[in-house]
Amino acid sequence: MRLFAAAAVVCGLLLPSSVVCAESDLSSTRVQLPNDFTPPQVFKNLNLLRNTNLEKGYVRETVDVVVENVDDKPQREYYLPFPADVFGKIGGLEVRDKKSPEKGRFDAEAIETDSSNDINYYVVQFPDALAPSSQITLRISYSVLSSLSPLPATIHQSEQQYLAYTFSAYALSAYPVDNQKTKLKLPSVNVPDYTTTTGLKSGQDPERQGSVYTYGPYETAKVAPGTQYPVTVRYEFTKPVLTAHLLERDIEVSHWGGNLATEERYWLRNNGSQLEKQFSRLEWTVSTYQGFPTSALRELTFPLKPGSVDPYFTDDIGNVSTSRFRPGKVPNRDGSLELRPRFPIFGGWNYSFRIGWNNDLSLFLRKAIGSSGTYILKVPFIEGPKNPEGIQYEKVVVRVILPEGARNVQWETINGATSNGLPSLSQIHSELNDHKTFMDTLGRTALTLTIENLSDEARSSELLISYDYTLWDGLRKPVTITAGLFTVFVALWFVGSLDVSIKKR
Amino acid sequence: MSLNEVWEAASAHPYSPIISKNSQFFVGFTLLFAALIFTGLFGLNRSFTSIASFGIPASLAFGFGAVYMICAVGVYV
Repeated sequence: MRLFAAAAVVCGLLLPSSVVCAESDLSSTRVQLPNDFTPPQVFKNLNLLRNTNLEKGYVRETVDVVVENVDDKPQREYYLPFPADVFGKIGGLEVRDKKSPEKGRFDAEAIETDSSNDINYYVVQFPDALAPSSQITLRISYSVLSSLSPLPATIHQSEQQYLAYTFSAYALSAYPVDNQKTKLKLPSVNVPDYTTTTGLKSGQDPERQGSVYTYGPYETAKVAPGTQYPVTVRYEFTKPVLTAHLLERDIEVSHWGGNLATEERYWLRNNGSQLEKQFSRLEWTVSTYQGFPTSALRELTFPLKPGSVDPYFTDDIGNVSTSRFRPGKVPNRDGSLELRPRFPIFGGWNYSFRIGWNNDLSLFLRKAIGSSGTYILKVPFIEGPKNPEGIQYEKVVVRVILPEGARNVQWETINGATSNGLPSLSQIHSELNDHKTFMDTLGRTALTLTIENLSDEARSSELLISYDYTLWDGLRKPVTITAGLFTVFVALWFVGSLDVSIKKR
Repeated sequence: MSLNEVWEAASAHPYSPIISKNSQFFVGFTLLFAALIFTGLFGLNRSFTSIASFGIPASLAFGFGAVYMICAVGVYV
């Protein structure tokens, strides 16, 4: 192929082509602030309800807070504080007006201060400044990754696993809070240890109701902002604590083939309790046969889009035959790819693998109206496994490989009335570069999006990409090959027409 | 206009390739076979007129045939 391409270039038969802009867009930004920064006290939180969900292998928090502007000027910057050790583990932060969620999410930007600071901030920009004495109800949702610690850290192979979560009974706030309450939703009623507070409220604290523990309500109008009261809960979680250290996801668009190829490469780790003794194959076989709950990963289920075909599952050794694929049906029935890793993944164990599949491009690509040669692509941002214990991603790299010659690439994520699990666009690092593979002369345009700290909440998120792609861009491959072979014919004719006989001239 | 609105507006125009996935092998094989025949005919008489009559069709058939054949075997370019 390269020979053909080189020949074509030499012949000058390759028509002038558009240049793919390989420009880099560093869209992830952080605001730098002085080290002794404290947010201006222009707001007051009248009522704060924090819902902490611990049913999965990571923490998902939703905070509903009624905010009042106590300043004499309109204000639009609201500061969200996080402890420095938690700040880097926050994922999928989203802030909305609870009363009108359809208006979309507010801009939230991370603020960078000195690393020695105990508290770091996100600054939330209200779309409209909040007038003095006016109120707004915010819904703040985010995940906290890698904040659950197994206790005990080592267990026997068939033992129950317990996780401990430490947090503050007083929600951390940059502003005074009049009233607040924290509700913890635990995965089971087996909670051997939890902190009982004293002096924060009258009566028992926390209050238990099944697997829901409620700390508060507290009247904290006289408590200084930033005051913390550490509490710990330890609860049973005999499931794997799945963490993908890295997920690389490639989505490749082929106009000639009418195909959308997806490949995902996972570097998985179980963050649960490690094994106390050596692994026993016999004990594992017995517990699997009897279906006992286990802290090891047995199986992963990937729901795939309707019409997905040609799945594969490989790891460092090669093809892994312990998988099952149930194809879906267009338009509504999802396919299902069920994978069993080569070995059970216990706490502290790693497993890396890759899976891939194909789809018809017609379900994901449309030709934009009103402009010739503009296409619009809509694909899931991430897919990934759907397990009851959930999965957290420390880093996700999504690479959308567009056809060779695609230009004027624009992208956005769909931002509906409910959370899509993604952070704001300013937290997504985007880059445009070239990707050279089979039959390419210039290289394909690849849009690379990098996000840190995602959870399986982002499974519902979708990515939209528009690009320009002309007829000549499409014809570049066959024309290049045609030109190459034509050059060979011309060369053959030319060499054949040379008179190399030995005779008198 | 957001991209989502562009997507919704284009609902009546899904992308469809010229040759469907099921026909790629047939088209690719036929074109490559035609390229082989034309190349053979050119080899019998390597004159300037043969370039026009056999070389150009063979080149075109090979160019498009190679693209469809590589798609047919699962490498979607």
